[in-house]
Amino acid sequence: MENTVVKIENLVKRYGELIALDHFSLEIKEGEIFGLLGPNGSGKTTTINCLLSLLSYDKGNIELFGKKMTPVSYDIKKDIGVIMQNVAVLNELTVYENIDYFCGLYISDKALRKKYVEEAIAFAGLGDFVKFYPKKLSGGLLRRLNIACGIAHKPKLIILDEPTVAVDPQSRNRILEGIEELNRAGATVIYTSHYMEEVEQLCTRIAIMDKGRKIAEGTKEELKRMIRNTETVTIEIIELPEEARAQIASLPHVYSAEHDGEKLVICCSGGKHNLIRILDVLQSRDLSFGRVYTELPTLNDVFLEITGKALRDKED
Amino acid sequence: MFLHIFKYELLSSLRVKDLIIWLMIFPIALGTFFKIAFGNIYAQNTKFSAIPAAVVGAENDPSFRSVCDSVSEGDEALLKVTYTNEETALEMLEKGDVDGIFYAGDEVRLTVAGSGLGQTILKSFADRYSVSAAIIKDALMNDPASAPAVIAAISEDVSSCREIPLTEGNTDNMVQYFYNLIAMVAMYGAVTGLHVSVGNQANMSPLGARRSCSPARKSVSIAASFLGSCIIQGLCMVLCVSFVAFALGVDFGSKLPLVYAAALLGGCMGVSIGFFVGALNMPESAKTGVVMSFSMLMCFFSGLMVGNMKAVIAAKVPWLNMINPAAVVSDSIYCLNIYSDYRRFIVKMISMVIITLVFVVLGLILTRRKKYASL
Amino acid sequence: MQVFNAFLKVLKKRSLSAMIYIAVFLGIAIPMASSSTSTEAMKLTSLDICVFDEDGTDASRELISLLAKNNKIVTLENDRDVMTDALYYEWIDYALIIDKGYAEKLAAGETNDLFRSYHMHDSYSVVYVTNLLSEYTSTVKAFMTSGNSFSDALSKTADALSTDTEVTMKSFSSGGGLTDVVGFYYRYLPYILVAVILGTLCPVIVTMNSRDLRFRTNCSSIRSSSYTMQLFLGSAMFVFAVLALFTVVGIVMNGGINGDMLLAIANSIIFSLVVTALTVFVSGFEIGPNIQALITQIAGLGMSFLCGVFVPQSMLGSGVLTAARFLPMYWYTVLNDMLMGDTRFDADKAALCLAVEAAFAVMLVVLTVLVRRQSSGKNAPRQKKAEPAAA
Repeated sequence: MENTVVKIENLVKRYGELIALDHFSLEIKEGEIFGLLGPNGSGKTTTINCLLSLLSYDKGNIELFGKKMTPVSYDIKKDIGVIMQNVAVLNELTVYENIDYFCGLYISDKALRKKYVEEAIAFAGLGDFVKFYPKKLSGGLLRRLNIACGIAHKPKLIILDEPTVAVDPQSRNRILEGIEELNRAGATVIYTSHYMEEVEQLCTRIAIMDKGRKIAEGTKEELKRMIRNTETVTIEIIELPEEARAQIASLPHVYSAEHDGEKLVICCSGGKHNLIRILDVLQSRDLSFGRVYTELPTLNDVFLEITGKALRDKED
Repeated sequence: MFLHIFKYELLSSLRVKDLIIWLMIFPIALGTFFKIAFGNIYAQNTKFSAIPAAVVGAENDPSFRSVCDSVSEGDEALLKVTYTNEETALEMLEKGDVDGIFYAGDEVRLTVAGSGLGQTILKSFADRYSVSAAIIKDALMNDPASAPAVIAAISEDVSSCREIPLTEGNTDNMVQYFYNLIAMVAMYGAVTGLHVSVGNQANMSPLGARRSCSPARKSVSIAASFLGSCIIQGLCMVLCVSFVAFALGVDFGSKLPLVYAAALLGGCMGVSIGFFVGALNMPESAKTGVVMSFSMLMCFFSGLMVGNMKAVIAAKVPWLNMINPAAVVSDSIYCLNIYSDYRRFIVKMISMVIITLVFVVLGLILTRRKKYASL
Repeated sequence: MQVFNAFLKVLKKRSLSAMIYIAVFLGIAIPMASSSTSTEAMKLTSLDICVFDEDGTDASRELISLLAKNNKIVTLENDRDVMTDALYYEWIDYALIIDKGYAEKLAAGETNDLFRSYHMHDSYSVVYVTNLLSEYTSTVKAFMTSGNSFSDALSKTADALSTDTEVTMKSFSSGGGLTDVVGFYYRYLPYILVAVILGTLCPVIVTMNSRDLRFRTNCSSIRSSSYTMQLFLGSAMFVFAVLALFTVVGIVMNGGINGDMLLAIANSIIFSLVVTALTVFVSGFEIGPNIQALITQIAGLGMSFLCGVFVPQSMLGSGVLTAARFLPMYWYTVLNDMLMGDTRFDADKAALCLAVEAAFAVMLVVLTVLVRRQSSGKNAPRQKKAEPAAA
């Protein structure tokens, strides 16, 4: 049976007039990789800071591992690993010393700690740099050190706040694989990012936030189903009479068909035989066309459509 | 847990370049400069040594010559007399080899090239000679019978004044610059202490945020950081005092171990000031600025830059010397050197403890908060 | 003039400490100028004497008024600690206790142990006052021995001790000379010049020459020589402005220009060139703000202490002065001491001082060029950052 690891109920956080979190609720089960998506200023980092009891909040309830989270809930903190947006390491300590230092805040047993630290170094691929000082590390290595410091103590809940900002693709892949590895080893993960493809690749469940509210939640398939545009058909075609375009646009499930002189792009919702019906129209008019391809929606489409819609809602 | 944080506090502090530069190299350099510049001043300017004077025409005035000879003898000679001709005497005066030239004769005349205590004493010597000569002449003329008694009275070696010694310590008052140097290093402890609060406050540094998320108790973490800073600062204090005492050979009086104690306590006081300022809500660079200018201002009032500043403060705002941390440190070392009893030293040490406690408590009140309205 | 403008903007950000130095220096120097006095006759040194009259007789009061004639009588609490502090820090020069029974004993012809004094330093003041007291008592005794009554003896002694020896003041300075105030102004000026020029210009040049910024400008269309020229122009303008300010203030304090003043100005100009050359030399190294500040402090304070700015050269040991010859500020101070009349003016020596200072400037420029040439040979970035191992 799946246990609830994180439970946020009706969280409200105000900065003066600004409402940063507006009755925000969330539940994350054990073993999930949970993605928290949202544009800048949507409240992702605020949520995490409240979750960690760093920030005070005006209303709501936060439970971690079934217990209420407070600044002095040291038994809860013991099981959390945090990787913040900003790199937080001591510039005067070497890579090894930094990891040992932070790990030591959680693990007192020296032998166990040594093992954990070495595992974290291997995990982050920092083996060649243990004697380096943070200032000498490249951006990607520094991020990896930042992560290694956060997870060395093998936490049950790992919170990553945009850990891949300004990281080269190699390091990023390494980080993402690492997170999956941690998850396989049993950790629950909360992951915030701007990079849709990362979240799409990584997360089992996703919540999209905007203006302090949760505007969508579900698996990526569920999210994709929430939007109209489930399939985009693109046909390379040079000459297309306006009547033909109009006929295609009026087909069932098709809600837009645009022709730019080279390509015809048709957006469809649901429906099963969309492509066949479209090709039928073209063939019946004896129009020649080149390649045809269809794309399934990406999370990016979901994100843009949902947050875009939310913006419109507000303006109403 | 405490030991773990403590260990890394020491390790990371020891590698901070600023610390090595400002708490170790700078005081050593400044101390060396002080030694070079002030090393001779007390012996040359304050402490009395026989005043060099030239005498011209003594060959025709045996009585002046014999008086001059008599004050030039022994360990406590008043003058160092050179008998010579006018030309040489003027040359010596110009070079500064003598402070003045006496012209012997019916009336002793004096030529000097400047004004100062040496010249004043030369004049007073000449005055005294003239007065005595006049009195003796007078007595010989008016009452020859009593003349021998008068001559005896006037040339009697009197010691009308008994000196009450005030101290057995080192009376070289240029040493106060070294006291203030030690006070300056103690005040720089504030820079060391800044990160105790900055590094443990979630709203002040990413590091603080990370620490706040760990199961390490904030009180433990702050205590370990504070103690670590005190030890590092203590190390700097020991280095500074040792350098001044042994490398520069400055005489602190007979109680050197207690000088170390005062310096160590002063260092902790500095750290506590840093801890307090670090907990204030302002950008980190501003905190460093505040701490540095506060330290230098306090050192200025305590006489690091201008030696007699302390006198001005003592006259105008006496309470400032009691609470100015830099002055308290330098005073404590001064009291050890000058006073044979420990009363005033203990008062100064207690003042340091109180100042330290006040800043620690204020700092704790400010860092007590565990949740922040904004980060 | 993009670089020049940027230079000035960076300079503006960094000029706060320079402003503070200049303001404090002028704030101290200018009020001093208005309270200056010239010395032609020898002044007796007036001591601050604290007297506790435990006897309280006419005789003791007479002695006090005699002391007060040439000295200042200070009133302080008769407390051992207060006396200790006051004497140690030389707030007072002498602390005298006139013992009870003073008048009685003196009237009886007793001259020993009439007074006590708190003793701290074996100083000139102590010798002076002790001698004065002995002279006073033995003179009183002598007058009494020759048949005067006690009160007559006291008044005759007071008269006798008012005798003044004729004192001639011999001046060896070169005539005109700088007044004390202008002389002191120029004596402390080199410290301020180091603090202001090195302390302000060095961070600015280091910023403008920082590797990343330099690489970026090297990629732009501006010629490297033009970049350097504009930096030079900016620095020169700053130094010129600082010098102009100090020179104008100096001339105003002096009340015009005379020969010695011209030499003092020339001295300060050449010394500024040395400091500027030093600044350019130091800025050639990629050093952090902390090291820059340390170098500024050590160069400024160190030279000032070693070369006789803070403490006159006549009070420094010969070893120190020998070492100081290798520092430009030594030669500045030698010339300034001559201009102040502290040492005898010698035109050849003055010329030598200026020449040696100029030589320091030239040497620093040559050194800068050499170091630059050396380091431009190996232009590789010094701090290679670790790159991730092949992923």
